[in-house]
Amino acid sequence: MDMMADNTPLAIARRHRLLDAMAAAGIDEVVVYGNAWQGDYLRYVTDFGILEGHGIAVIAADGATELFLDSATDAERAEAETPGVAVRLCGDVARTVGVRLDRVANRRLAAAPWRFLPAWLAAAARSFTVEDGTALVDRLLMHKLPAEIDAIRRAARIADDAYGEFIKAVAPGRRQYEIAADLEAYLRRRGCPDNFMIIGSGGKDVFGMTPPSDRRIAAGDLVTTELTPAVEGYYVQICRTLVTGTATVAQAKAFAIYREALEAGIAAVKPGATAADVACAENDVFRKFGLGDYVTSKYTRVRGHGIGLFCDSKPHILEDVDTPLEPGMALIVHPNTYHPEVGYLVLGDAVVVSQTGVEVLCRTPRELFEVPA
Amino acid sequence: MRRGLIARSKTEQPDALFDARLLRLRAAMGGFDALLVYTNNTRPAAVSWLTGFVPYWSEALLVVSGNRLPVLVVALTFRVKPWIERTSRVAEVVHAPRIGIEAARFIAGHKPDAAVGVVDFDHLPVGIADDLRDAGPRLCLSDASDRFAEVRAPADPAEIMLTARASSIAAAALSQVGSRNGANEIVAAVERDARRNGAEEVYVAMAPDLAGDQRFLRLEREPALGRRFSVRASVAYKGCWVRRAVTIDRDGRVSDDAEAAFADAISLLPSDRALSRFSTFLVEGCRIAQPLEALMGSRIAAPCSPVAGAVVSVQACIELDGRPVLIAAPALVGASGEAASIFP
Repeated sequence: MDMMADNTPLAIARRHRLLDAMAAAGIDEVVVYGNAWQGDYLRYVTDFGILEGHGIAVIAADGATELFLDSATDAERAEAETPGVAVRLCGDVARTVGVRLDRVANRRLAAAPWRFLPAWLAAAARSFTVEDGTALVDRLLMHKLPAEIDAIRRAARIADDAYGEFIKAVAPGRRQYEIAADLEAYLRRRGCPDNFMIIGSGGKDVFGMTPPSDRRIAAGDLVTTELTPAVEGYYVQICRTLVTGTATVAQAKAFAIYREALEAGIAAVKPGATAADVACAENDVFRKFGLGDYVTSKYTRVRGHGIGLFCDSKPHILEDVDTPLEPGMALIVHPNTYHPEVGYLVLGDAVVVSQTGVEVLCRTPRELFEVPA
Repeated sequence: MRRGLIARSKTEQPDALFDARLLRLRAAMGGFDALLVYTNNTRPAAVSWLTGFVPYWSEALLVVSGNRLPVLVVALTFRVKPWIERTSRVAEVVHAPRIGIEAARFIAGHKPDAAVGVVDFDHLPVGIADDLRDAGPRLCLSDASDRFAEVRAPADPAEIMLTARASSIAAAALSQVGSRNGANEIVAAVERDARRNGAEEVYVAMAPDLAGDQRFLRLEREPALGRRFSVRASVAYKGCWVRRAVTIDRDGRVSDDAEAAFADAISLLPSDRALSRFSTFLVEGCRIAQPLEALMGSRIAAPCSPVAGAVVSVQACIELDGRPVLIAAPALVGASGEAASIFP
């Protein structure tokens, strides 16, 4: 019996890629950790979107997959949602997986993402030895199949529409969390089960975005958001800024710099370029306008990042990241940072590295939107 | 990820609340010079209980040592420091990409060979465990989970109040179900209501056709709704999680008998004698860091009874006239022999 027969074609294709990579690397079994924050490795191999607790999957060279979960509700869901995967509910995930690995202690085992593996499993006292298999899975996560890119494209359509809903939801007097509630409801209506969203509102007092607070939108605010809806587990991202009222000359002038930086960053995306090339292209625009201080880690985290089964994947777009860009990689390019005259501004588009250059997925105009004050 | 309101209310979570919890913890720390508590957005409960801090993203280590307020070492960037300070009761927020190194240096800086208790040490990410050992080679690290769980177990009045609020948010959200058509529309309505009422997070799951399957799913593609279906809302409010579920029958009202049987069975907690007569049941509660950890249930191989005075969430599938009713609600386990009661 084909254990994967009931899975989606995309899940089957991913599993075959993993098995091929394991065979090429001489790995007998792979141990994959996931939780609701860093769930991409686990989703890749099991197609399960974990929400609660720890999850560890063990994949054998023949494709047989066991999924160990310590959340009873997630275990029930996994049994229903991931046919072909043997789900084990256990109180202590590390020790239960340890018993499983005792049986194959003489085999070559690798784990990903290594740094999240429960410490107990990596202890020297175990009968088995697990090596770091993060790079093996990272390659698969970064270089996507056409069907994976299709899912990201579909998510991008939803992201564009969701930003339209965001514009409608923002009005002076509304609290940030009320706006987020409307957005999440819109996405659920569209059949989108997950979204990463942060928001900021105000002026020069705002240095970044956070989860929604109870702050009320005021006239003249810059309202920033990063929407990250997922389709079949694949996240896409869009970053935009709007003004409640009419943009001031200073806001419009500042925004033009971000638009130029975004366009420069996207123009740098092509096969053979590196993540650093994209970051440099964005940052050079800020430096040209005397804003070099504002592209440092004091004011901005990254100038973009990979997207896929995790909303903040590798590679990070930074001037010291030399990861080469290759066809099939999906990224968000976002020169988001603080501007000393107007406050925190965001602008970002999701893109895919194509054979010849770049495909921009977001269709929302790169405007500083205005809503009635 | 957290997408709801994260805001500390000093009325609901006054400084004195966290100070009292810290005092209880310190009293139980005998033999340890310091305690380390890890948090990320899937295992936030221990740190949020001590400080109010709930990471919407990323991870952190809380360092409890001496008689001062704890120090929070976070992997989040410096730009969100004001947000963390607004939502948490800590002495200091330290930003470091490798939180294990920074936390170990902090402790070793005071006492290089300190005895350090680590809450849920076995499940600490190995990258952080390695960094702790590298940056504090003389630190003596050992597990402190049981000791933390003992201190944490009985709910204090603030936790009971916050749980009651989470329960009322969930109940109000589920009251949106009846008038809606279509699975996605129902999920959207429940989620919007919960978030608009201040939920920190809400996960809505559905068993869309109880005639075929009684398992709760997270919806991606819109399923056809059966004549009888169930909706479950798992709601967080200021660090306190509850689950509530309702069953809807399009052909008539679901009998009150299920609710009555459920309430009777819950009243016997911590005994599961009556719950175990249902088709399935599950009792979840917070022991350490996972907000809703499976404690007892029809599928739980090694049950762990909730202690008197603990807050739990209970789910059950009850067969009435040969048809299933899925039901869930939070409850307070009675202290001193009193009957456990469901939160309204």
